Amino acid sequence: MPALPVIAIVDDDEDVRVATGSLVRSLGYTARIYASARDFLESCPVDAPDCVITDVQMPGMTGVEMHRGLLALGSRVPVIFVTAFPTEALRNTVLAAGASDFLGKPCDGATIIRSLEHALMGGSARDATA
Amino acid sequence: MDAPAVAAPSPPRSGIGPDTRRTGRLLGVLALGLALAIFLVDAFTPLEGAVAVLYVVVVLVSARAFRRNGVILTASGCLLLTAVAYFLSHRFFDSDSALLRALVSLAAIAISALLVLRNQAAARILAEQAELLELTHDPIFVRTPTDTVTFWNRAAEDLYGWRRDEVRGRNVHVLLRTAFPGGEAAIRDALMRNGRWEGELAQTVRSGARVVVESRWSLQRDAGGQPLAVLETNTDITERKRAHAALAESERRYRTIFDTARVAILQQDWREVKAVLDAVPPDAATPLRAHLHAHPEVVRDLRRSVTIVDANAELRRLIGADAGAAAPRSLDALLFEDEPTFIEALLALARGETFFEGETTIRALSGDPVPILFGITFPSHAEGFEGVLVFAVDITERKQAQEALLAVQAELAHTARVTTLGELTASIAHEVNQPLAAIVTNGEAALRWLRRSPPDLGEVSAAVTRVVASGTRAGEIVSRIRTFLAKTPPPRDWLDLREMIGESVLLVEREMVRGGVRLIRDVASDVTLVHGDRVQLQQVLINLMVNAIQAMATVTERPRLLTIRVAPDGAEHVRVTVADSGGGIAAEAVERVFQPFFTTKADGMGMGLAICRSIVEAHGGRLWITGHDDPGAAFHFTIPTTAEREP
Repeated sequence: MPALPVIAIVDDDEDVRVATGSLVRSLGYTARIYASARDFLESCPVDAPDCVITDVQMPGMTGVEMHRGLLALGSRVPVIFVTAFPTEALRNTVLAAGASDFLGKPCDGATIIRSLEHALMGGSARDATA
Repeated sequence: MDAPAVAAPSPPRSGIGPDTRRTGRLLGVLALGLALAIFLVDAFTPLEGAVAVLYVVVVLVSARAFRRNGVILTASGCLLLTAVAYFLSHRFFDSDSALLRALVSLAAIAISALLVLRNQAAARILAEQAELLELTHDPIFVRTPTDTVTFWNRAAEDLYGWRRDEVRGRNVHVLLRTAFPGGEAAIRDALMRNGRWEGELAQTVRSGARVVVESRWSLQRDAGGQPLAVLETNTDITERKRAHAALAESERRYRTIFDTARVAILQQDWREVKAVLDAVPPDAATPLRAHLHAHPEVVRDLRRSVTIVDANAELRRLIGADAGAAAPRSLDALLFEDEPTFIEALLALARGETFFEGETTIRALSGDPVPILFGITFPSHAEGFEGVLVFAVDITERKQAQEALLAVQAELAHTARVTTLGELTASIAHEVNQPLAAIVTNGEAALRWLRRSPPDLGEVSAAVTRVVASGTRAGEIVSRIRTFLAKTPPPRDWLDLREMIGESVLLVEREMVRGGVRLIRDVASDVTLVHGDRVQLQQVLINLMVNAIQAMATVTERPRLLTIRVAPDGAEHVRVTVADSGGGIAAEAVERVFQPFFTTKADGMGMGLAICRSIVEAHGGRLWITGHDDPGAAFHFTIPTTAEREP
């Protein structure tokens, strides 16, 4: 039996973090939650996830910077951005950098699930809608 | 008898020297002796004949010895002696022939005396004329048709450096190495044909210097029409020529500047304006300014009266007049209706100023406005108003650059403002969206857990609990906003001021970095607990900090410092000061800044400080503004530290 996919959740807001973790677990995945981008990056080499769901605006290090750090580490893990303040500019930036998807908060569970499944299958949300 | 004066004037007689005087005296004695001898022979010898006729010689000699009266006296004496000798030798009428001879002698003496007197008078006139030639300032000489000098006046000695005895008999044009422009032969032909010639000659004086003379030649002919002599008058015009050349050079240089300058130059005739202004009585009841403003038609007429005498190429370029187009004839054509600086120029002229400058807009031929800087130089005295010089520089490009700069600045300010607003919106969105996101996700998760087989009720319960918590949190945020809007008393908590300042600084950190602002925090450790509403007080702090950062945006000559100071203010209050090193606030604006809709920002609403003050006052504190020791402004607010604890 293949191991359950591991989903890393990075958000500085505890409520959101815990809620997203619960949703992910309800889908049958393993959820690991991190309160900051730095915490996640430190754990990454030891315990690489299959997918990352991250906030953008976080104190210390933003989700975008964290993504850049992942790429610098040579990681190809798909990253889904979820932000409370989505702008077109930010969307273009992260997708150009290779993000798997870019979602605005609040977004319904179905959207997150669809995006997550596409990411795990190695595609991106854009491929799915195309 | 002397030669004609013009051909060779005799030396002046008026200035009689010792030599001339001695010769005169000798001749006088000779004349007297001769007269005596003739009388003795005539009276006491038996010689028959007209001995008395010899008295004519005495008269002629006396003409050289005496002047007019002396000659008359001598002649009268001779007549008397002739008569006496006749009576002594012949008695009365003894011989008709002797009487006849005596009468002939008397007639000869009288006639010769008259001729001598006439000749003397003519000679004197000629001598006076010759003396005038001597006195004149113009160098004059007389030469034969073959250029041999026969007369050379004092001015000629002065100019050429040769004395008259040195030049007499020499060929003057060889001596002076005269250069004949246009050819010597042509000049001599003209002289022979017309009897005169005028022109410029270059000659060399004794010292070797070349002089330019304005030469006038007059030809004298003898009775047979043959050339006898030439009188040359040569006026030294070397200096005049040099001055003229310098003037011409100066004129040429001026013309070059005029034609090629990148500055527009106009020559305008302001005589009419000057006359009109001069006619205004100095103590006129209405001051000139008021008068001109009250009578636009007068100004209009004056504008029309200023004619444009000349304008250079740059001006034509400026007003878009190509080579073919006619330049405007009067100032009126160049100025727009109600052009303001013309009146100022009139007033400056009326005050007696000699220079007036300003900035205005003139009308191109196409009617388009052309911005210029100009200067007018008025003559300091009454003359010269027919050629008043006006200089103008096209400042279109400068204006355009200035406008572009202002536009960019406005754009930047707007962008900064929009960015700030956007970020504030972002943080509000973040704050509200965060609990909403948690609610939606928890709800979704709860549904998932519920639908599992078997349902995980523990997870469902946990998720629903979190939904309730997040909902409550979102409700608090919304209620705080509503509470503030409804101006109901805000909830009061004990707040750690140090922590609150830290949070506020975090929120404006990006503004500070972008504005190059350094933060100085000076928080007294014992006064950090205050009583109030966190969100509202944070709003006050952030507002004051953002204002301070923006106030320093244009500061370049000193560090941009944002100081936050917290200190006790009496026993029951703490005072928070937010100071900047910006331009400060004008004294008259100090109170108005707190009024609603007062703003110095192009896109500001002017509500920030008004809201801040009402928040602080609702907390039982004060908000005010002062200057401080360094440049910039300082905002202070107080917050109670002791308030009744809420239940």
